[in-house]
Amino acid sequence: MALHTLEFELETTSGTASIPAPTHVGVTGSSDLEVILEPAPAGKVAVRIVTPVTGFDELWKRVVKKFTDETALAGARIEINDNNATPAVVLLRLKQALTQATAA
Amino acid sequence: MTHHDTRKNWRTRAADTAARKEAAAPLFAKGKEVLAKDTVALLEAVIRAGDVINIEGNNQKQADFLADCLNQVDKSKIHDLHMVQSAVPLKSHLDLFENGIAKKLDFAFGGPQAARVAEFIENGKIQLGAIHTYLELFGRYFLDLTPRVSLVCAYKADRKGNLYTGFNTEDTPVIVEATKFKDGIVIAQVNEIVDELPRVDIPGDWVDAVIESPRPFFIEPLFTRDPANITDNQILLAMMCLKGIYGEYGVTSMNHGIGFLTSAIELILPTYGAELGLKGKVCTHMIINPHPTMIPAIEEGWVEAIHCFGGELGMEDYVASRPDVFFIGPDGTLRSNRAFAQTAGHYAADMFIGGTLQIDKYGNSSTATAGRVAGFGGAPNMGCDPKGRRHPSGAWLKCGAELPSLDTLTGSVPRGKRLVVQGVETFGEGRKPVFVDELDAWKLAKNANLDIPPVMIYGDDLTHIVTEEGIAYLTRCKDMETRMAAIRAVAGFTEIGLSAKPEETKALREAGIVKTPSDLGIDPARATRDLLAAKNMRDLVTWSGGLYNPPARFRNW
Amino acid sequence: MSNWKNLQSRSFLESSARDRALGLVDEGTFTELAGPFDRVTSPHLALLGDAVAFDDGIVTGVGRIGKTPVFVISQEGKFIGGSVGEIGGAKMVNTIKLAIDFHDDLVAKYPDLSDAEKPVVVISFETGGVRLHEANAGLLAHAEVMDQLQKARGKVPVIAVIGSKVGAFGGMGFVAAATDAIIMSEFGRLGLTGPEVIEQEMGKEEFDASDRALVYRTTGGRHKYIMGDANFLVEDTIEGFRAKLVDLAPLPVADFEAMRRIGSPEKVEHQLKLVALAAEMQPKDAVDVWAKAGNENAPGLLDVPFAEFVGSVKRLSV
Repeated sequence: MALHTLEFELETTSGTASIPAPTHVGVTGSSDLEVILEPAPAGKVAVRIVTPVTGFDELWKRVVKKFTDETALAGARIEINDNNATPAVVLLRLKQALTQATAA
Repeated sequence: MTHHDTRKNWRTRAADTAARKEAAAPLFAKGKEVLAKDTVALLEAVIRAGDVINIEGNNQKQADFLADCLNQVDKSKIHDLHMVQSAVPLKSHLDLFENGIAKKLDFAFGGPQAARVAEFIENGKIQLGAIHTYLELFGRYFLDLTPRVSLVCAYKADRKGNLYTGFNTEDTPVIVEATKFKDGIVIAQVNEIVDELPRVDIPGDWVDAVIESPRPFFIEPLFTRDPANITDNQILLAMMCLKGIYGEYGVTSMNHGIGFLTSAIELILPTYGAELGLKGKVCTHMIINPHPTMIPAIEEGWVEAIHCFGGELGMEDYVASRPDVFFIGPDGTLRSNRAFAQTAGHYAADMFIGGTLQIDKYGNSSTATAGRVAGFGGAPNMGCDPKGRRHPSGAWLKCGAELPSLDTLTGSVPRGKRLVVQGVETFGEGRKPVFVDELDAWKLAKNANLDIPPVMIYGDDLTHIVTEEGIAYLTRCKDMETRMAAIRAVAGFTEIGLSAKPEETKALREAGIVKTPSDLGIDPARATRDLLAAKNMRDLVTWSGGLYNPPARFRNW
Repeated sequence: MSNWKNLQSRSFLESSARDRALGLVDEGTFTELAGPFDRVTSPHLALLGDAVAFDDGIVTGVGRIGKTPVFVISQEGKFIGGSVGEIGGAKMVNTIKLAIDFHDDLVAKYPDLSDAEKPVVVISFETGGVRLHEANAGLLAHAEVMDQLQKARGKVPVIAVIGSKVGAFGGMGFVAAATDAIIMSEFGRLGLTGPEVIEQEMGKEEFDASDRALVYRTTGGRHKYIMGDANFLVEDTIEGFRAKLVDLAPLPVADFEAMRRIGSPEKVEHQLKLVALAAEMQPKDAVDVWAKAGNENAPGLLDVPFAEFVGSVKRLSV
């Protein structure tokens, strides 16, 4: 059983936040994940998730959408290597990555 | 005609006890000492078929040698015993039912044997009396479940039968008092028989026999949480609890349930708690076991008093060195006492905070799963609003004043309410959703033929739910519809959470019934292990000035 | 989060591989090579359906300490126990190779270069050794790393730093032992066969891996320091390790030769004396050896505060 790769795009219309510079946060530890945030033009957030777990595609979309809505992200590329993280951990890491990206 | 002839004999129990002890008389070596090798013979002499028997053991110390010996009695003579005991965590406790020695069980906590309890109830090996709370069961010891023979455990005894239970006094006083003052028989296993005890916890004339066990009693360091295993998410929840509940209500007295969330709270008191200016305003009086993760907060002067249900391995010297905080005897060591700590936890404390495996859409919660009869020990007594409470306090009054429907019950008379908080991540281990439509307790009730689903904390007692999504202030909800909407709002990506309506959640946030981390002014990016005052076991030892001596399995240096 | 100044006082034990790499060299000097943005992930794990990491669990790069170019390798224990597979192994091999090539070029161009200006390699170990999912490639990588260590010898000092949760075990325990100098904290562990494997093979009576006190007094930093298996014992902060690296980095390579524990006829002689001592003593526990080394409070030695331990401990000499 090979790794599962999930790719999707979220349209963003009202967002204003952007990613100033490529940022990497986290470790693909057990029940954890790592994320790369990269700048991209406003209008959409492109997402790529690589995970051993299948059957949660809709959930992933909802979690990332919640992140982009809450942070008013206008445009970005998000890449995630996941190892069974719960939605709570995913959101926390995404928020930490954004904080680091904007602090840098 | 004499008065004497018609009068009923009022001393049948005493006579029966005397006869049993007579049968055991040849087994006594010196004073009240019986040799370990004669233990089975002693039990056969003093126990009769159908007796109500107590084996001491909560979730910490265990009268394990006596439990093993009871399994070796001649079951053609001793059978159909009715076991009444706090907990059944040992294999030997359930073996009694497997071996046909015991028949009926009344208890409070199943622990590691929970699956076997469920199986035995289903196949008829156990006739279940009821699952109680500790206090409830202790109460019945003095009412309708008084033990005929109790098998207890202590650190030390002398040959007069005096016992030193010390740091781990736990349930011994309540068991011995109920048993002895109704002419029962008390047998104690001790680690050591000595000439002089550090102090007398149980007077010798309440004890019939003492046995020096071939090995020290089994004891589990159940309340030790290694800070190295605390996650960022638990820290986020801990920050929300401190700011949104402890600080918001000014909660000074409380019980912390077992778990990593409460450990995280304890470890960020000296960092984040200090930053919020909460020192001296929260957590000043606690009913908890000696949690090692409390050491930094104690050392920083947050806590005035801690009373303990039981001890905790490795904390003996630290606790003994902080007599201003802990309850220390004239001999210089702690005396724990579960009955009193539970009483304080039920009536005196303003808050209970703990975790659970499941919360249903109404706010009822349970750790019961379909195949395990675990029981809840003391959690329901602390995790409920004590209706008999009459003394006021700031947090209690504030929480009560928030109830929108109080006037429909007490008119214009004010009443407070205990804070009962469940802190959970929306998904538990193995991505199991914590928020569910129906508790697994219903399935368990069906499988194990229970009359009611075992609920740990009922929805009407629960005042707050804390998840990574935010805090639901359930006390502020005017009706069940609002409560359910508030629960949905913090249920994250579980099915329950996905049914939340965004406009409803928005209205709840505006009304202060739901608060997200950002509503609380908490930046999730700060939720890292850097906030922990101690990050590993060695740090705890350092905080304790070398007084804490963690069990070998927890050491990291 | 990974601000260099904040990192200095941070617990080394708590720090990720990247934070360790960043914090051990001078502020702002670390450049990561084959980092996460290069996205070189393990092809083997992907085939097996196991989670991958953008850096394959090993951080490699180059920085500076004072005048000394420092090639850094840092292993991440949270990713599959810091196990070394094909990609991570190749990153290790090539980092050392890069340091050697750089040294050779520098020396050819500038024959008068001071010792302080010559490169060193620092390896922050956190691993159980070979990644079993890609065992052959992982084993080969171990051999290649050993090969590079031999090539570096006498030219580019290789310094091991060990103070992370997983320790340094398995094949990487050999690699660590073959470096020129070893710096540990009391939380570091160094050994060949990991505790769980010993228990599995020899039984719980021989070695109870859940008895962490036993594990640490057999493999932990304080024990290794007494035994001479570790050269230096430092406090559990990034700056604690860094300060020792600042001392070591400018030293001539000959000084490092003296710090080695193995790898010459004299060192073999010394090791044989230790073996003879063990045969004669038949120690039941590490504590027996500490007492033999002249420590009066041997049983309590693990519990005395760090500064007191370093200040007063007697190390074994044969």
